[in-house]
Amino acid sequence: MSMTVLTVDDSRTMREMLRLALADAGFRVVQAEDGIHGLEVLQAEPEMPQVIVTDINMPRMDGFGFIEEVRGDQRYRAIPILVLTTESDAEKKNRARMAGATGWIVKPFNPVKLVDAIRRVAA
Amino acid sequence: MDPLAAIRETFFQECEEQLAELESGLLAMEGGDQDPETINAVFRAVHSIKGGAGAFSLEALIRFAHVFETALDEMRSGRLAPSNDVLKSMLRAADVLADLVRAAHAGDEAEHPGAATLAEELRTMSGAAGAEDESEEDWGDFEFQPMAVAVEGAEAPAAAPAGFKVAFKPRADLYAKANEAALLLRELTRLGHAEVELDAHDVPPLNEIDPEAAYLSWTVTLTGDADETSIREVFEFVDGDCELEVTPLGGSAESEGGEPAFDLSSLLARVQGDAPAEAAPEAPVEAFEPVAPPPPAPVVAPVVAAAPPPAAPPAAANETAAEGQAAGGPRKTEAGATIRVDLDRVDRLIDLVGELVINQAVLAQRVMEAGLARASAVAMGLDELEQLTREIQDSVMAIRAQPVKSVFQRMPRLVREVAAMTGKPVRLVTEGEGTEVDKTVIERLADPLTHMIRNAIDHGLENPEKRAAAGKPAEGVVKLSAAHRSGRIVIEVSDDGGGINRERVKGIAIEKGLISAEATLSDEEIDNLIFMPGFSTAAEVSDISGRGVGMDVVRRSIQALGGRITISSRPGKGSTFTMSLPLTLAVLDGMVVSVNNQTLVAPITAIVETLQPKAEDVHSLGGHARVISIRGGFVPLIDVGMALGYRNEPLPATQGVALLIEGEGGARAALLCDAIQGQRQVVIKSLEANYRQVPGVAAATILGDGRVALILDIDTIVTVSRGDMRKAG
Repeated sequence: MSMTVLTVDDSRTMREMLRLALADAGFRVVQAEDGIHGLEVLQAEPEMPQVIVTDINMPRMDGFGFIEEVRGDQRYRAIPILVLTTESDAEKKNRARMAGATGWIVKPFNPVKLVDAIRRVAA
Repeated sequence: MDPLAAIRETFFQECEEQLAELESGLLAMEGGDQDPETINAVFRAVHSIKGGAGAFSLEALIRFAHVFETALDEMRSGRLAPSNDVLKSMLRAADVLADLVRAAHAGDEAEHPGAATLAEELRTMSGAAGAEDESEEDWGDFEFQPMAVAVEGAEAPAAAPAGFKVAFKPRADLYAKANEAALLLRELTRLGHAEVELDAHDVPPLNEIDPEAAYLSWTVTLTGDADETSIREVFEFVDGDCELEVTPLGGSAESEGGEPAFDLSSLLARVQGDAPAEAAPEAPVEAFEPVAPPPPAPVVAPVVAAAPPPAAPPAAANETAAEGQAAGGPRKTEAGATIRVDLDRVDRLIDLVGELVINQAVLAQRVMEAGLARASAVAMGLDELEQLTREIQDSVMAIRAQPVKSVFQRMPRLVREVAAMTGKPVRLVTEGEGTEVDKTVIERLADPLTHMIRNAIDHGLENPEKRAAAGKPAEGVVKLSAAHRSGRIVIEVSDDGGGINRERVKGIAIEKGLISAEATLSDEEIDNLIFMPGFSTAAEVSDISGRGVGMDVVRRSIQALGGRITISSRPGKGSTFTMSLPLTLAVLDGMVVSVNNQTLVAPITAIVETLQPKAEDVHSLGGHARVISIRGGFVPLIDVGMALGYRNEPLPATQGVALLIEGEGGARAALLCDAIQGQRQVVIKSLEANYRQVPGVAAATILGDGRVALILDIDTIVTVSRGDMRKAG
């Protein structure tokens, strides 16, 4: 059974990089372009993703808002969320954690470590 | 293509979009836009470019984007005011960033001449002169960075006993963030041989269990090669959400509680017998897991079977999900419903639709010839087919349509550069950027527009002193606008400069032998002289627009697109160039005429009027050259049949019809044909692809009766005939 990962990133490049890395590892990948789109995809997706990987800086709804929404929803709150961001500074990371992020990955990511991190948080 | 190479291309494509976004955002801010979303978008653009550049290790790009981003972040957080000067620097930084992106795309590693200075400027702006070292560090290494935690007993000698005792007590927060103790323990067991003890002491009686609380803690004795750093790394994500103690074996920290602590695997053996070892640690945790995981928990152990269902049991969760989905029905994923399609495929489709249109027309004609009644089922079905075909054609054309924004967006930078070179302050105003037109038209618009905008600044606008003398603001305005008008796109480039100096234009035209000294010309005709080949008004050949190409080149490229360009100028107020272009290059509105039993098509756009020549209006100039008098003015009468070699003797003017057309330089001519068949939309078929270029013929088309008709290249015919006429005269 392959695991479904939802990636939320406004950059097409990043989405494609993620897809490549995750598909190589045998994950099924669904994509969204920002937080709002991410919520829409969650709702429309027949197979609930086991892990969410999200960017922070996005239009319409950023990563913090998205995490809060997911954590605030009974249906999704148990899904581990990894924040994917170039901000290695503690403040952004802490804000993401406060919002409910499960973990983080620093961009640019090493595909092996990305997959590793996903396996670490995924049931 | 190698998938990574494909993503790299995507990255550069996306960079262009981000750069456009960046520039338009900065320009909007310069124009007074204070919407926080604008600066956010600007920030995000640079941020995204940096992110992607990082993925491809494009060092120069990363470094510059980082400095730029820092400055933008200062602005975003309100610490740096978006003054005009700051925004001007940012715009220049955007230009440099664009150069760096293109250099990176081309694999060009040469230093950018302006990057260092501008980076310094940005650093000064963000007051981050000292932040440089930190930034280098930021981008040095992108490994997972364990949070630096000062650990007592961190002096744990490398030669210490091979093992650690890990005491781990999750807090409720840990679970709330969807971390799982079981997974952490599993991770830990991978580092070496682990003996896990569970402390379930704090678990209250069942009826008092709070599903959101955390009651369990574990002590793991880990033996093997694992060092403390790798152990702490396991708990990286939950730092702060748990109590964690890592002590070398044989150290002091003893697990105080340790009385009923039982061995995890033995518990599991009791609980589950045959569960795979891999899932072992999950059993007890899942049972007490405060939040129900989305997939049905596989191991609801018999031991805890009496436990009340967790807050949201899987079934309930599914129900909620289903409800939510029903309720949220209309909120489906319509966002971003776009696909990227290879242009070749679209072109192939357009070609096929072209064939379809022709076929349909052929069929219609055949049916008509068969003498079927208009109301017959076949004829009516055919009517419907015609309508459908037209709709398909429109829809397919719409696929190729793009907003002119992509070409308009290149202009602000050009304006800045030309303004800097000429020392004239200029403001560019754009309008109607969303107006759509065929992609090919857009691509071929870039050059003429560039040229016209250069001209508008270089020749159109006066220098600041002159402007001041004329009572105008020092800053000149160049306006670029686009709009749809009666099935065509109209693009205007206007300036608020001095307008065309007609005396000078006329002088130059006479001097260059373009017109005779005695010629009396209307203001409009004088203005249009600037489109004549070889005309250049720049008294001193300037660096900017005096590059040997004049407005005639612009005019020719517009005409090659099936368009026309005109100028209107008011002395002291400025000039406006108006271009009118077809929305697509695939079809053309044509006037179908016959010449010596041949069927030809003249583009309607070139035709001013049609007329029946009267004998008294036609005058011979000797040889075959004739002129026709139209409302008091004389225009050359060109026999199309002669011009194309269909006949050797000219057609008596009174036996034909004349199409009054407007050609190069605004000059008019009358094309003499045998008869007019009608007006029709025709699908353009390239002649060159199938045959070769023929002077006087622009392309071909297939008519309803299946015959091939040539589309006239009006300008060539006029130019060639005028040459003949000069010889004759």
